[in-house]
Amino acid sequence: MFVMRSATRLCFASTTLLFILLSALMLSTSASSNQETAIFGISEADYLMAQAHEAVLGAEEVGADVSGLLDRLDVAGEYLAEAHIWYRLGDFENATRFAGLCFDVVEEVRSEAYRLTEEAYGLWVAGLFVRIIGSFVGVVVVVLLCYVVWRAFKRRYQRRVLGLKLEVVPDES
Amino acid sequence: MNLEEYRTLFMVATLGLALVAASPALSVVVRFQGSSERFSKLWLLGLGHMVEDYPFNVTVGDTYSVFVGVGNRMGCSEYYVVYVKFRNSTQSLPDVSGSLPSSLPPLYEFRFFVADGKAWESPVTFAFQDVSFQDYSVFVGGVSINGVTFPVNASAVWDSENTGFNFQLFFELWRYDKTLQSFQFHNRFVGLLLNITV
Repeated sequence: MFVMRSATRLCFASTTLLFILLSALMLSTSASSNQETAIFGISEADYLMAQAHEAVLGAEEVGADVSGLLDRLDVAGEYLAEAHIWYRLGDFENATRFAGLCFDVVEEVRSEAYRLTEEAYGLWVAGLFVRIIGSFVGVVVVVLLCYVVWRAFKRRYQRRVLGLKLEVVPDES
Repeated sequence: MNLEEYRTLFMVATLGLALVAASPALSVVVRFQGSSERFSKLWLLGLGHMVEDYPFNVTVGDTYSVFVGVGNRMGCSEYYVVYVKFRNSTQSLPDVSGSLPSSLPPLYEFRFFVADGKAWESPVTFAFQDVSFQDYSVFVGGVSINGVTFPVNASAVWDSENTGFNFQLFFELWRYDKTLQSFQFHNRFVGLLLNITV
């Protein structure tokens, strides 16, 4: 009877210990998994943010109005800053949440920046064509006009010089 | 002036006018950078949005406000981060001559974009928590910035020169470098000297 009781107690104690160990293991695995998820989310948001910035710069270079995109990127930047702050404080859930919010905003901005770049690039090429043609025509007109003016000037100059008559001036000395 | 000289004058004038006529097309190929220097500005303003009324003597439990701002004159839109750090008088400050940031970890941060010629500004509120005084030293357990509390565990001894327990809350400006594809310290920082009192 005593042996049975001891065996039951031993069995209970070992089961409890096993349960505690497993719970601790699960908790630590879950915390580590949360941290990994947060790291992944933040680095993905960081990468996409940099890409969106480059896309916006590309749109800006070809003359697109990017002020609206910059405002939205600012919002995304606030989310990303929050994600970094919560990560440093060890709140991985909030870090992941804010990284996700940032990701959603930035993805939209990036697509729109590419679309704006294409539109603005089309306009830029058309403008360039107009400028080249305009400049070419302008140069031709200037050269022709100058040639005509030169011819007229030369003729007048020669007529004036050739039309001069010699005049004998008496020596006063 | 003889005819030859007139001809030279006409040719120079024609060339000048032709260049003016061709300038719209030439502007695509030749880019004038201008003489303006490219730079960013970082500033800190007091409570009244002026370069005055900065908090100096701070007490535990009170909240203080300043404004941090950044101006962009880099020629294009820029992606910036401002890191907020906290130090005592023995901990490192950024080394501007060596372009090195402070080795202290950031507490709070701001991430934002500024178009060329524009500026960004944000309020910063801060307060101190878990402060204990002991003889000639003070220990600060936490700093709360914009409502978020950060453990700092910093201590300072009595500074007889400045007559106080001096700490510094400072702001470092970092800029995203497209070539390096990472944030780089932009060689600018501003700070607030704070004397913690009872």
